[in-house]
Amino acid sequence: MTLTQTASALDAEAIGRISDRHDEPAWLRALRARWWQAAEQTPPPTGQEEEWRRTSLDNLPRDAGLLLDAPQLETHLPSDAAQAGVILTDLRTAIREHSQLVERYLGRVSGPASHAHFWALAQAAWTGGLFCYVPRGVSVDGTLVARQTMARADINFHPVSLVVAEEGSSVTLLEEVVSPDGATGWYGGIVDVQAAQGARVRYANLQQLGDGVWRVGAERVVVGQDAVVITLNAEVGSKVTKLGLDVLMTGKGGTSKVLGLLAAGDDQQIDINTVQDLAADHTTSDLLYLSALYDRAHASFYGVTNVRHGTKQTSSYQECRNLLLSPQAGAEPIPVLEIAANDILRCGHGATAGAIDPTTLFYAQSRGLDADAAERMIVRGFFEQVVAKVEDETIRERILAALARRIGSTEANS
Amino acid sequence: MALPNPALSQIPDGYKFGWHDSEQPRTTFEKGISAEVVAEISRIKDEPTWMTDLRLKAYRHFEARPMPKWGADLAGIDFQDIYYYVTGNSDGAAQSWDDVPDYIRRTYDKLGIPEAEKKYLAGVGGQYDSEVIYHNIREDLEKQGVIFMGTDQALKEHPDLFREHFGTVIPANDNKLAALNTAVWSGGSFIYVPKDVHVELPLQAYFRINTQNMGQFERTLIIADEGSSVHYVEGCTAPTYSTASLHSAVVEIIVKKGARVRYTTIQNWSSNVYNLVTKRAVAHEDAVMEWVDGNLGSKVTMKYPSIYLLGERAHGEVLSIAFAGDGQHQDAGGKIIHAAPNTTSLITSKSISKGTGRTSYRGLIKVYPGCEKSKSTVRCDALILSDEARSDTYPYMEIDEEDVTIGHEATVSKVGSEQLFYLMSRGLSEAEASAMIVNGFIEPIVKELPMEYAVEMNRLIQLQMEGAVG
Repeated sequence: MTLTQTASALDAEAIGRISDRHDEPAWLRALRARWWQAAEQTPPPTGQEEEWRRTSLDNLPRDAGLLLDAPQLETHLPSDAAQAGVILTDLRTAIREHSQLVERYLGRVSGPASHAHFWALAQAAWTGGLFCYVPRGVSVDGTLVARQTMARADINFHPVSLVVAEEGSSVTLLEEVVSPDGATGWYGGIVDVQAAQGARVRYANLQQLGDGVWRVGAERVVVGQDAVVITLNAEVGSKVTKLGLDVLMTGKGGTSKVLGLLAAGDDQQIDINTVQDLAADHTTSDLLYLSALYDRAHASFYGVTNVRHGTKQTSSYQECRNLLLSPQAGAEPIPVLEIAANDILRCGHGATAGAIDPTTLFYAQSRGLDADAAERMIVRGFFEQVVAKVEDETIRERILAALARRIGSTEANS
Repeated sequence: MALPNPALSQIPDGYKFGWHDSEQPRTTFEKGISAEVVAEISRIKDEPTWMTDLRLKAYRHFEARPMPKWGADLAGIDFQDIYYYVTGNSDGAAQSWDDVPDYIRRTYDKLGIPEAEKKYLAGVGGQYDSEVIYHNIREDLEKQGVIFMGTDQALKEHPDLFREHFGTVIPANDNKLAALNTAVWSGGSFIYVPKDVHVELPLQAYFRINTQNMGQFERTLIIADEGSSVHYVEGCTAPTYSTASLHSAVVEIIVKKGARVRYTTIQNWSSNVYNLVTKRAVAHEDAVMEWVDGNLGSKVTMKYPSIYLLGERAHGEVLSIAFAGDGQHQDAGGKIIHAAPNTTSLITSKSISKGTGRTSYRGLIKVYPGCEKSKSTVRCDALILSDEARSDTYPYMEIDEEDVTIGHEATVSKVGSEQLFYLMSRGLSEAEASAMIVNGFIEPIVKELPMEYAVEMNRLIQLQMEGAVG
């Protein structure tokens, strides 16, 4: 593997070297150039922006090196799905084997406004990533799994995950994000999910980066007419996570569920910005984010529900709940509503923060559990509000296993 | 239902306080602000040096700070196109309405204030442009040591009490508009309630802007000593001119151990007034502070009454109601800072937007580490009455203590067609039915108002609702 080490780590020259090394097609070179220009025209946040006031990027390791070669993406694609034309592979291979198809979808949409710079940066400088494609009318049974790994401990890695579900198709995809031991770099991956008319997509992102890694990136989900998209972002690892997540309800009658789980401890800082953009009639978008915060962990949530002017009969909810499990833990849940239409079916939000209810704890202990076991059980129960919504067995198990690393095992010994 | 003044009900639709008095006030500065204007205001008022210095220091803060970039659009404010000091009566506040100059007296008669004083109030203050023109308090309260007077007068008559508390809750450099107020403040109410004294009836002040392009910068300071209680009510109106006026008040309240203060505002500025007000209270041990904040008028309001819960078991409440009609932006809300254990708070916000109006709830709940057993509930409801109206909710929460119970909930809805249909089937017009639904929506807040204000509030909502399509 070759490492390009430049003063600014990411610049036009470094990007050219990526293209040269992989002999990329002309369209991709042009695409990277356009996005590099966009990255330069959209400067990184200054900290004054509403979404950036709670997390400083002063110590973001921008100057770590960039690997020209991404590690092999580990994927699991059931064989019958492959026969039906479903593609799940790393983005580099996808471009080699399905250049025209990837060209049609890659880098077409801009990212969340708050994370526009980082979206552009990844579109310009990606070395790895995944391409998941489900043809029209194809329903995939079982779970697709892909695992992104930061190949070295001290690098910047900006993979692009592109998930396309064509009309009337159906798919469940779990993307895991991990890093090697002692990693310290910046995982700047972006996720681009496109659900066409009537498609059903379940996308889970399980982030288990090492506790020295910065996770500063973005995710954008476009929900077409009558499409149903359920996303789940589980943040378990990283030193700092700063994720911009936009869900665009662009097609009439579309539905989205935006689920989030945070289990953070030590000095972890997790800061999530969401936008639920209700831009079409009869759309529904419900968000539920749950955080369990240990030690000195701090979680911020700034979410915006945007009901666009002129839309009719939209329905939306935002809910952010924080369980504080240590006196030093902190939470800033800020669920914002911006509503410019009056013909709404329902719109609301709720936020809570607090410790475990002492009565619940007392009750659990009276049943013979010690305080720690009782706490674990209660935290598990708290997360169950989201976990129960995950129908897919594989995803549920993987997420519970990851959460157990922070919560502790709930194997009751009483 | 009887209004404080029957004359009010005879004024037809729309903003009924929009007339102005054409009398020319005597003392008028040139438009615009400078260190010289600030020093001159202080000189005219014959103030002690510390106040002149504080004003000049505040002016430098005002100059140095940028305009807020968040919240409402403030581009229409030209600080150099505003009169900073206008007065027609430099003889100080009268204690009898007979001593108030006729043209001002007529204004207050039309507003119904002298009548209300007789019936419902323990004391009344009136401010006309920059100066307090009337102040009176019932004799029995005065005998118990209650002070209720214009803030300028208090600086002269109670210099030590004044200096001990002035600017301690909202320092001169708190924000750009508070700095401006500190630099050019004039008028406002000063209230001191001694230990264990309970003022049973409300004290009221009525603020009136009469001059075009006027800036009103009153400064109110309320000190409730240990175990005391008081309810202060302020009302505000202004004529409807084609150019903008600015109201930028600062209100500081100190609620000492075991005391209780309620501050009620019914803001009904005309639709050309920028209403940018800083209101803050500190509540000590076992104290209770309540803001009842009604925003119906103005072009733009940015106002977030706040409470710092500094002592154990202190309790704070904000009841906020906002109504934005065509062209209005009500950016209102409340802030509660939990800085002691076992403190509790409640924010209830009801906002209604109509026509092209926009309401924004903006609030903050902050809990410092170590404030265990704190509890806070925030409840925001919004009603959107037209296609062009807009409603926003920005509920900030910063929780740095584990052992707390903090909750926020909000809903946004429109007037349901089923509700309308039901009421209209009972013979109500659509406008009447909408008004009835709106009245029901704001009822939890209206019921907290003194009777005559509740009546007035309902009447104002009705006026706002006329022509509204549900």
